[in-house]
Amino acid sequence: MKSRKLYNRISVLRKERNISRQELADIIGVNFQTIGYLEREEYNPSLDLAFKISEYFELPIEIIFSPKPMKSIYKEILELKQK
Amino acid sequence: MYKQLSKSSRRIWISSNFFSLFILLFFFYLGRSLDSAILFYAGGSLSVIAAIMTFIKAFIHTGLWKMVHSNKDLDERQNQVLLGALKNSYSVFTISVLLLVYGFALFDKQPIDVLLAACLLYVAHILPAAIIGWKEKAV
Repeated sequence: MKSRKLYNRISVLRKERNISRQELADIIGVNFQTIGYLEREEYNPSLDLAFKISEYFELPIEIIFSPKPMKSIYKEILELKQK
Repeated sequence: MYKQLSKSSRRIWISSNFFSLFILLFFFYLGRSLDSAILFYAGGSLSVIAAIMTFIKAFIHTGLWKMVHSNKDLDERQNQVLLGALKNSYSVFTISVLLLVYGFALFDKQPIDVLLAACLLYVAHILPAAIIGWKEKAV
């Protein structure tokens, strides 16, 4: 079975926290090239890796990953506040 | 730290490595058919040097050899890539060797030579790394 493409906000969140790919890779325990693959959405992480990333950014997993193209994080927070 | 080569550079080094093996075998069979040991030793030694140099450049400097042969520190994506490469190389190598054995049995009527067997043994070892180097954007 072919898995769906997962969209993510890793690149935005990483830049916001001002850390390099290498630093993020060291924190979550992967090769730095894997961060590039994740940011380009060329690789779907395992559930364990997705949780590690969400724990590091201290955000719910669904804010970071989605099977649908993602809106800007600020728009999404505004929408959540309005609900 | 391993050297990051572009996909096209990696492809060039990998092709050169395989090409040097073909040249080595070419000199071996040419030397045998012309009964010239000098031709084999001169051409053969040059191709072996080329094979060693391209092997170092394509597989050692890029870390591809270590990735395939000492896979303790690989993450989940690298393990997935390695698994796919091993699967592909198993199919490619098995079919190629069987075709070669069949060809030898059909046309040559001789057993496979020591040099050809050594080349096949080498190819069996580098094929997964070559597939990764050929296909992947970054390794």
